[in-house]
Amino acid sequence: MKKFCHVLLLMFLLFVVAQAGITSDIILIKNGTIVPVQGGSPAVADLLIENGKISRIGNNIPTPSGAEVIDASGKFVYPGLVAVMTAVGVTGYPRAGNDTDEVGTSTPHMDPYDAINPEDDCIEVTRVGGVTTVQTISGSRSVINGKSVILHLGGTLAEDMIAKRYVAQIFNIGATEQNKYPSTRPGVVSYLKTTLNQVKDYAKKQSAKDKKPAGDKKSENAKEDSSKRDLAMEALVPVVAGKVPALFITNNEVTIRNALALIEEYNLKAIIRAGSAILKYADRIAEAHIPVIWAGTENVPQRWQPHDLNYHTAAVLAEKGVLFTFDSGGYGPGSRNVRNITRPAAISVAHGLSEKDALEALTINPAKILGIAAEVGSLEKGKIANVAIWTGSPIQGRSRVETVIIKGKLIPMTSFQTRLYDKFRKIVDERIKKK
Amino acid sequence: MGKKFLMILTVIVMMAAGIWAQDIALKGGTILTITNGTIENGTIVIQKGKIAALGKDIDIPAGIRVIDVTGKFIMPGIIDSHSHIALTDINEATDPVTPQIWMWDALDPGSDSIQKTLAGGVTTVKTMHGSANVIGGVNVSIKLKYDRPIEELIIPNVRQQLKMALGENPKRLYGEKGRSPSTRMGSAYVARKAFIEAQEYKAKWDKYEQDNAAGAKDLTPPKKNLQMETLKMTLEKKLSVDCHTYRAEEIVWIINFCKEFDLDLLQISHCVDGYKVADVMAKAGVFYGGWVDSWGFKEEAYDGCPYGMQIMYDAGTKMVINSDSPVVGRYLFREAAKVLKYTDIPENEALKMITLNAAESMELEDRIGSLEKGKDRDIAVFDKHPLDTTTKCLMSIIEGEIFFDYAKQSVTAKGGSR
Repeated sequence: MKKFCHVLLLMFLLFVVAQAGITSDIILIKNGTIVPVQGGSPAVADLLIENGKISRIGNNIPTPSGAEVIDASGKFVYPGLVAVMTAVGVTGYPRAGNDTDEVGTSTPHMDPYDAINPEDDCIEVTRVGGVTTVQTISGSRSVINGKSVILHLGGTLAEDMIAKRYVAQIFNIGATEQNKYPSTRPGVVSYLKTTLNQVKDYAKKQSAKDKKPAGDKKSENAKEDSSKRDLAMEALVPVVAGKVPALFITNNEVTIRNALALIEEYNLKAIIRAGSAILKYADRIAEAHIPVIWAGTENVPQRWQPHDLNYHTAAVLAEKGVLFTFDSGGYGPGSRNVRNITRPAAISVAHGLSEKDALEALTINPAKILGIAAEVGSLEKGKIANVAIWTGSPIQGRSRVETVIIKGKLIPMTSFQTRLYDKFRKIVDERIKKK
Repeated sequence: MGKKFLMILTVIVMMAAGIWAQDIALKGGTILTITNGTIENGTIVIQKGKIAALGKDIDIPAGIRVIDVTGKFIMPGIIDSHSHIALTDINEATDPVTPQIWMWDALDPGSDSIQKTLAGGVTTVKTMHGSANVIGGVNVSIKLKYDRPIEELIIPNVRQQLKMALGENPKRLYGEKGRSPSTRMGSAYVARKAFIEAQEYKAKWDKYEQDNAAGAKDLTPPKKNLQMETLKMTLEKKLSVDCHTYRAEEIVWIINFCKEFDLDLLQISHCVDGYKVADVMAKAGVFYGGWVDSWGFKEEAYDGCPYGMQIMYDAGTKMVINSDSPVVGRYLFREAAKVLKYTDIPENEALKMITLNAAESMELEDRIGSLEKGKDRDIAVFDKHPLDTTTKCLMSIIEGEIFFDYAKQSVTAKGGSR
């Protein structure tokens, strides 16, 4: 009987292993120039992917049985790019408007996870462009916007794609209201302070409620008073507690200054997204270790400024040791062109940024900024296998992405756009033939 | 008296010589001629109004300014055939038909946008009326001679283009006001009605002028109408047409419309769906004007497909890359590089999309768009190949004169970045 049990157990184990073998993809990328970004220098090597993770990088890795082998000779293997502040997954159904930017001055309880559409055409177009991980935000037009999440761009259900929720809460100091309070920037500052004070009070009451013993009449009243959940307040509690970063959207010197003052006064964990003027505060920002999303590379400088001021800004940020990434070029519908995140990087390289720093700004830096650097952003053993094989550097406009792997799975190199190409290639060619 | 006259004459001669004082030679660069291949370690001599000589072993005339561009790349000045820079106003958005508007009346040669665009190697643009109206204003083709009198900017002896616009913009703008057009049918009607009126107007004037020439007495000239004057010029092909539209059905519609009224349609701008009707566009000989891979930024741009450029190239559709923006206008060469990402179109053809093709779309191919003996001296110098996206423009030269010089006008030249 005991023996029989052992056999049964063995059979069960074999079954589990066999199942694992079927479901886990093993991919061996051979002889590509591996550009790890972090933890090593670019070199020709092999990269082994098992169970969704990078399991080995080295020379002459023996091919495991059942492995899919990709010959990357003459090609370049990069970590998947990481793009911040996108609307990927919430750009809405085609021709039905997008799902970002709920109405209201304060909408911190909006969570893009509730609106993620795995069929969003933007997902495929973005990932065949080499971007494998994105921060999707709920909006930017309110003073207090919603939450943001991290998605890996592979998977058929939102829960398969989600990497992390509540990564940052978005504030926009420049988002003044029209014809109602707050309609000025000082008004916005005051509005934000008032809200943050309310959140502090709310948090105190909530924790007091949790501490007080039941049965006490006085505390029963207090409990009643504070037991009403306020979802907006609740959303901001971790921000006030310094647990979730406050991401401040700024567009000029005034709003950067206002953001810095708020960050200091409320001791917030913060990220600053800047569209211009960031260099004036670069030293202060570097000293305070506040990460920066530099969104102004392509902005045309003011009349009195040299033409390349913004082109050169990333180089200065790097030199001053600021942890920065590039903005993906806006949110909302414009965000469909997230794959062009490489362009501000290329422009910055033309104007003084090192190619190494530019690559970090597209991969490991955004991962660090969003708190996912242990999982993605570089090619290192143990990290999630988000990998793209390019014909050249991603910084070069002409470089093509030939292979994309997300969470260890090969991604079909097709998209809404390749399907349009196939369809109209046929239609146009047939019409030409007929004539 | 004689002495004084001689002195004045000498001064006049010296002043005249001053016009040619911009004679320069660029020595030692890689010259991308666009029409005659690449010349390594070449020299280009700019003298007396035109490109005097270019090639490998060129004798540089004594006394002219020599600029060493060893290791650098020389290409024709970049041309943007759809821009809105250097204008104080863009849209006369008060009526769907405003052909009485001439954009040169809004031209601002001191606009900083000219300086910032020059820094991207651009030397010529067609700066245009916006897309609010079905029939907008008359665009103006200019050289980016910053802060000069407008006569120096406006390119002489070339047909200007009437701007038309279909699709979302006129529909939204007038529809929201409860006016027509609020549909594409409405836009079609508005355009057709205007040109039918113009035909009638033209017939009246033609008759008057015929009778007048025949010596008829007591003729009363028809009443002048400035809207109709422009449309009459368009019917007479003294103006050509550039139409803004995204969608395939509208592209076909405007091609047929221009056939119906015998108008010269040169370019379809924002031509996102062009690839779907590449053969129709090729047959009509009309230029695709648009971006390389901007997609989905508005509803009618939803079917944007960068791979589609290959379909157009194979069908023989002529193509130019436009900026439509002061931002993109500063890096058209980077957009051209992306043609190589999405298609197998050769490098030189990608470069043509921002040079010679753009010149042709503005009927200026005999003067600009390539580096050939006898052409205008419009040149851009880059530190790396212009299709290397990490390159930057070092110099923009218009008719032999340096209008942008990186060494003098960059952050580094201005002593730091703050």
